[in-house]
Amino acid sequence: MKIALFIPCLVNQMVPEVGIATLELLEKLGHQVILPAGQTCCGQPMTNSGCFNEAKKTTLKLLNAFKGVECDAIVCPAASCLVAAKENFHEFDDSPEAQAVIEKLYELTEFLHDVAPIPAFSKPFPHKISLQMSCHGIRMLELATPSEQMGPRMNKFEAVLAAIPQIDIVYPDRQDECCGFGGTFAVDEGAVSAKMGKDKAQAHAATGAKYAVGFDPSCLLHIDGMVRRQKLPIETRHIAQIINAAL
Amino acid sequence: MSTSTSNVHAHKAEIFCRDESRVDWHSKALWALREKRDRAAGSIPEWEQLRQIGSEMKLHTLTHLAEYLEEFEQNCIKNDIKVHWAKDGAEHNRIVHEILAKHQVKKIVKSKSMLTEECHMNPYLEERGIEVIDTDLGERIIQLAKMPPSHIVVPAIHMKKEEVGDLFHQKLGTDAGASDPLYLTRAARRHLREQFLSADAAMTGVNMAIADKGAVVVCTNEGNADMGANLPKLQLHSMGIDKVVPDLDSAAVLLRTLARNATGQPITTYSSFYRGPQDGGEMHVIIVDNGRTDMLKDKILAESLKCIRCGGCLNTCPVYRRSGGYSYNYTIPGPIGIAVGAQHDDTNSIAWACTLCGSCSYVCPTKVPLDKIIHHHRRLKAEAGKLPYGKSSYMPLVGKFMASETALNCSMAMARTALKILPGSLLKPFSGAWGKYRELPVAPNSSFEAWFKKNRG
Ligand code: SF4
Repeated sequence: MKIALFIPCLVNQMVPEVGIATLELLEKLGHQVILPAGQTCCGQPMTNSGCFNEAKKTTLKLLNAFKGVECDAIVCPAASCLVAAKENFHEFDDSPEAQAVIEKLYELTEFLHDVAPIPAFSKPFPHKISLQMSCHGIRMLELATPSEQMGPRMNKFEAVLAAIPQIDIVYPDRQDECCGFGGTFAVDEGAVSAKMGKDKAQAHAATGAKYAVGFDPSCLLHIDGMVRRQKLPIETRHIAQIINAAL
Repeated sequence: MSTSTSNVHAHKAEIFCRDESRVDWHSKALWALREKRDRAAGSIPEWEQLRQIGSEMKLHTLTHLAEYLEEFEQNCIKNDIKVHWAKDGAEHNRIVHEILAKHQVKKIVKSKSMLTEECHMNPYLEERGIEVIDTDLGERIIQLAKMPPSHIVVPAIHMKKEEVGDLFHQKLGTDAGASDPLYLTRAARRHLREQFLSADAAMTGVNMAIADKGAVVVCTNEGNADMGANLPKLQLHSMGIDKVVPDLDSAAVLLRTLARNATGQPITTYSSFYRGPQDGGEMHVIIVDNGRTDMLKDKILAESLKCIRCGGCLNTCPVYRRSGGYSYNYTIPGPIGIAVGAQHDDTNSIAWACTLCGSCSYVCPTKVPLDKIIHHHRRLKAEAGKLPYGKSSYMPLVGKFMASETALNCSMAMARTALKILPGSLLKPFSGAWGKYRELPVAPNSSFEAWFKKNRG
């Protein structure tokens, strides 16, 4: 398939290794990958704060970067940015061209589960990993059944990773409780955000896993900051890095 | 200004967070309720269907509210119940006082009413010489401690049993240092019996008002609503206009989810239906608007009126559990407190006391879309020019900055360099709340875009 990468500002600027792993793994799977120019931010810091006027220009800039780009799918390795992009594109532009972009948007895990599943992994990953079930992916993108919901359960995140040979998947206590990042919440509500992050980091470490693995780089950045502040024996990794290592 | 600054959610939460062991205890106690709720909800195969039906039924009632309220009133009158309408809290309090004054009531026993809290009824009646006794154990505890509720279902959840023991020792004369819950509960029971026997009137909240029967339903675990309503001849029930449901079947749907979602019980110990006065007595129902009609005008805010006050969203909320009920600058805390209280919040901060994680919306038995409502409140505040935390000054800059690749690239390159060459301790003061609580990110050498150009360009 021909895939356009949607690399949000945070990934581009702060965790390029996540972008690289995403690119490499998609290439290893035989896809043609391009990076449309002119991407900055999905507008989430502004719209999450209620500031829709301030978000408009940024959002439309990102949307324009994808309009008219020839591809089968637009893939993003950051769940909350993807959710925001979808919602904000819709909010500020209801043209058919915008709709065409929105319909091609996929979060990486979602893409690998629903659209182009990985036929087989070539290398084992003999480590214990603790899954970070970030809220926007779970509850807004439906990557997994949230713990509040009753009835049959599904979990795309686990399903994609479980196919890797010798991987050992565990969950932290209070499986999908929010880690407390919440965008500007991390700064506005520093004390509560930090306490939530601390609890989450400790819960991951308490599993004895080597890595806390997630699909949302912003949550991972926050948890990583808490892990290092408390000197916990665990490291954070993005799902793309784990998959890339096993291909 | 100084009062409103100190009432800002982040400020109060920061104070609550200073005692970490207490935060952990609080968080754990409420999470235990969430776990009980999960077990109870999971025990009924049709749980998600019940939520869907509950949501649709409430929405239906809210969109035909005038008709159902009229039907309810007419059937009440047929049942010899006196119905009153109050447009706001002040009018509600005035009506209650008039009824009580007419009967020369000196003492009233009360049960289960967040609405009277919302209307600030207790101080109003007390100023007029009427003693008000809250009879739910938790409510009586905080009343004796002269505190407002910190939770809508377990109002004294923030108090440890030792603290209750001290309070009872002072107020009820229990043994000093006694903190055994059974002992304390027995003491409270003795004390409350005296109150029931000496009260001249009883008042309760309303969980559901059944339109086609002209009846009100009150759910309690201690039987105190019944004790109150059956002893004196005068009984009053206060309800918001949102409490009406069409019929018994719809009430039954909510009864199946309410207690399960609140405390994990299959149903509250007592679900009392009142549909008329005692022989020779009087029964009054006061129907209160207090801003609800205004909420109905906004399609998104209107859905908060589907709430049946189970408290489930508070128990699951990771922010509420770590910031406490008193940090919200409104009588009702937590997600539903933000949904119905953000308009009244003069600090303009509680709408931001949320990570938008969405857990509340999934926990809710009537599918109140709490995260969407909270997000919407932020937008309404922004449009009204009421942003907290300096957002009104920096958000336009962030907007401009993010929309410009050059600005973003240059400054982020600078930030990466700074993160690399400056010692962390030097950077921390500049990175504000992030660096205060967390280690700063380890800076990469280049952006992904630069890497891509070099390696795939
Ligand atoms: S909003 Fe829903 S979960 Fe929260 S108290 Fe109301 S009914 Fe319960």
